[in-house]
Amino acid sequence: MSLLKLQGVTKRFGGLVAVDHVDLVVEEGELLGIVGPNGSGKTTLYNLISGVYMCDEGKIFFEDQDITGLPPYERAHIGIGRSFQIPRPFGAATVRENVAIGAMFGRMIGKVGEKKALDMADHYLSLLGLYDKRHKISNSLTPVEKKLMEIARALAMKPKLLLMDEAMAGMNPKDIDGMVALIKKIGQQEKIAIVSMVEHVMRALVNFAERVMVMHQGKKLIDAPTQEALNDPKVIEVYLGRLTLEEQNA
Amino acid sequence: MIFQKYSSFLLALIVFAVLFAIGMVSPSMWQPIALIMFYIAMGQAFNIFMGMTGYVNFGYVAFLAIGSYGMALGVSRFYQTGIGLWLLFVGFALAIVMAAILSLLVGGIALRLRGAYFAIATIGVNEGLKYLIEGGKFWGGSEGIIISKPMRATFGRHLANSLSTFWADVFLFIIALLAAYLTFRFMHSRVGYALTAVREDEDAAKVMGVNATKYKLIAFIVSSCVAGLIGATTWCLKSTYVFPEDVFEISYTVEAIVIVMLGGSGTLLGPIIGGLIYGICKYWLAVLLPGLQLLILAPLIILIIVAFPGGIVGVIRERIRGTVLDQVIV
Amino acid sequence: MLSGNLLNGIILGAVYGLMTMGLSLIFGVLKVVNVGHGAFIMLGAYVAYWMFTLFGLAPILSVPIGLILGMALGFLFFYLVMKRLLDAPELSTLLATFAIGIFLEEIAKVVWGPDFRGYSWDVGTLHLPIATIPMAKIYALLSSIAIAIALYLWFKKTRAGTALRCLVEDKEGARVCGINVTGFYALSFALGLGFTVLSGVLLTLFIPVGISPYMGGIYTLKAFVIAVLGGLASPWGAFFGGFIFGLVENGSYSLLGLIPNVEPFSLTQFVAFMVLLVILLVKPEGLLGEK
Repeated sequence: MSLLKLQGVTKRFGGLVAVDHVDLVVEEGELLGIVGPNGSGKTTLYNLISGVYMCDEGKIFFEDQDITGLPPYERAHIGIGRSFQIPRPFGAATVRENVAIGAMFGRMIGKVGEKKALDMADHYLSLLGLYDKRHKISNSLTPVEKKLMEIARALAMKPKLLLMDEAMAGMNPKDIDGMVALIKKIGQQEKIAIVSMVEHVMRALVNFAERVMVMHQGKKLIDAPTQEALNDPKVIEVYLGRLTLEEQNA
Repeated sequence: MIFQKYSSFLLALIVFAVLFAIGMVSPSMWQPIALIMFYIAMGQAFNIFMGMTGYVNFGYVAFLAIGSYGMALGVSRFYQTGIGLWLLFVGFALAIVMAAILSLLVGGIALRLRGAYFAIATIGVNEGLKYLIEGGKFWGGSEGIIISKPMRATFGRHLANSLSTFWADVFLFIIALLAAYLTFRFMHSRVGYALTAVREDEDAAKVMGVNATKYKLIAFIVSSCVAGLIGATTWCLKSTYVFPEDVFEISYTVEAIVIVMLGGSGTLLGPIIGGLIYGICKYWLAVLLPGLQLLILAPLIILIIVAFPGGIVGVIRERIRGTVLDQVIV
Repeated sequence: MLSGNLLNGIILGAVYGLMTMGLSLIFGVLKVVNVGHGAFIMLGAYVAYWMFTLFGLAPILSVPIGLILGMALGFLFFYLVMKRLLDAPELSTLLATFAIGIFLEEIAKVVWGPDFRGYSWDVGTLHLPIATIPMAKIYALLSSIAIAIALYLWFKKTRAGTALRCLVEDKEGARVCGINVTGFYALSFALGLGFTVLSGVLLTLFIPVGISPYMGGIYTLKAFVIAVLGGLASPWGAFFGGFIFGLVENGSYSLLGLIPNVEPFSLTQFVAFMVLLVILLVKPEGLLGEK
């Protein structure tokens, strides 16, 4: 039984096909990367998996259960967690409260009251180095801190599948390496399959993903182990040589 | 630690106790105190929905009205069954049930809508219900319901009188207490956290697992039921009649908005402070400048929206941020 | 007679449509719902009343006065209040327009007194086979259509109108093109209110004795129903929605009048509200609107 299975998933906006008959399988505990230039459909794909958009065609299965028509909040309850590329904090609430919301309404819904949620929040905040800032109003955090909070909040949902969206953008290389190592460790400990979506920060991908799916114009271009995918001539062509340049600089 | 969590609730209790004490000790103060409590209670009930969700129920007063109809119907239709004081229980129960049904109907439709559309849907509830009653000529139509006779018949002149002049207000205190308690419980439970998420970013909240419509509906129904109780006691029991032209008066919704925004929406103490200040000012203004309250209130609302969106509690919070007091006032 | 009633409904519907165009314009450009809509209609009604009673000015000629008054108030309230709230949460603008409406109603009550006023402008009647219609109403109908067409042409043909359409499509893009966004917001708000006030002028030709400070509330509800019918952001949809509403309103009034022991006028308003809820339930973007 695969954790997540996408079959022929398609989404159109008017005349534009944002996601074009994409198939994808994600196994439990896997570390997958999704890569593609701007406009290739990555974010739309995320939105389809997390339920923000509904598919026009195709099906989505989670642990063999058909979730194609499930609303977003129920997908959170079965174990799909997500962080956003541009962080979406619950602005007027404190950092701690933000993460507690993830804990309360994620996979543990119904089992987590205020106290337990706040404890869980403290736990994930300290993992991500935000414990000291937990009482700050989330709107007052720096952009990088907001991103860290996003991840903490998504982790507090106790997901089985975590969709990370450009989580490392804006960080310097040393921090990225540390972040990648931390996420991998947490993923292993808590048995979370993590999908990391990346557009330019290849460094975050190379040390992280076991497998990479490259998207282009809504279609899946290739789905293969990391090095194989990134060195594929079709992929390099799509990125206009940017990939080889990045790898050299890494 | 425990003190921190309960501190605002305790403060609310103290305010209520002080007001009650003043009223009991000095009988001439009872009416003004009752008026202040009305505004506090009305603001609290309004805040349960608006403060927590950030949506404005423009048809708010319709729920006060239907609650008063509940009490009126309960008393006028059942007083001959000879159940004595249980008649009041019937009245209050009817008020809650009718408010709940109305809020379920309205909320079920309106709460799927976003901001502006929600406002439009609720603005019509008030007028719509009034025209339904007047046009359909039921529940007394445009002539309303008078319960002074049934009350005298069931309770005897003396008790009926003290019910209207004293006990109706005591019930109000109890309802205000209930409202404070409910607000407190909500804020520290999943409902409160869910609604905070919805208020701040509804789409992100859904992705985080919050069933936005369900929680909005819970807040809406509870807010409406408390409002119904307030209407039942302050409008019906106290004045012994219900006239549609009176009870569907949109100015009460305006006052509720002012009270909540003045004090600070989304907080426990906000509506209490707001109600206190507003009640005092209104009593004073009614003596000095009768008939001009709304004229002064309207620009006041605008001023608050533009300059002090967080209300008085918001201003205080800014001043004391980072100090020990910060944890206390929630 | 039902058919006569329906004809009256269409004529009134034109004015209803005109009145809603202002609402839709403000929402379409500024994303603000003018909850105080009715108060501005009330102002227009009083303008018509005073111009006629004091100066004998025909209501049709009061229309431009109403427009100018509305636009002046629009610019005033925009720069005084609305501009500061452009980035505030939706709630703030809702409450602000609400408060402005209440404020205007209260001032009217203080200045002009709470009593009902009316006047009658008799310019003859038109005799048709199905109904007899006062010429005043015909003039109102023609004026409404003319004004609606004028607005349409303004949008399509003039530079200002085109700029406004760009603004609605893409705010940042418009700014980059050098369009003064704030100025156009002010203009849209002013135009919207101007249209609302002038429709109040024309409305008096249908409600000879119904002018009072609080008369507006009922029209706010109607305007919202029509706006939702025609698509909240579309002035043209609003105009056509007005005709539909006028028809439905008069039709239901006739029908309800047949039921014994009910009061048809009040019930018709209730029906209007039900229509609103049903539309919102089924298609919130309006029958003619797009998502």
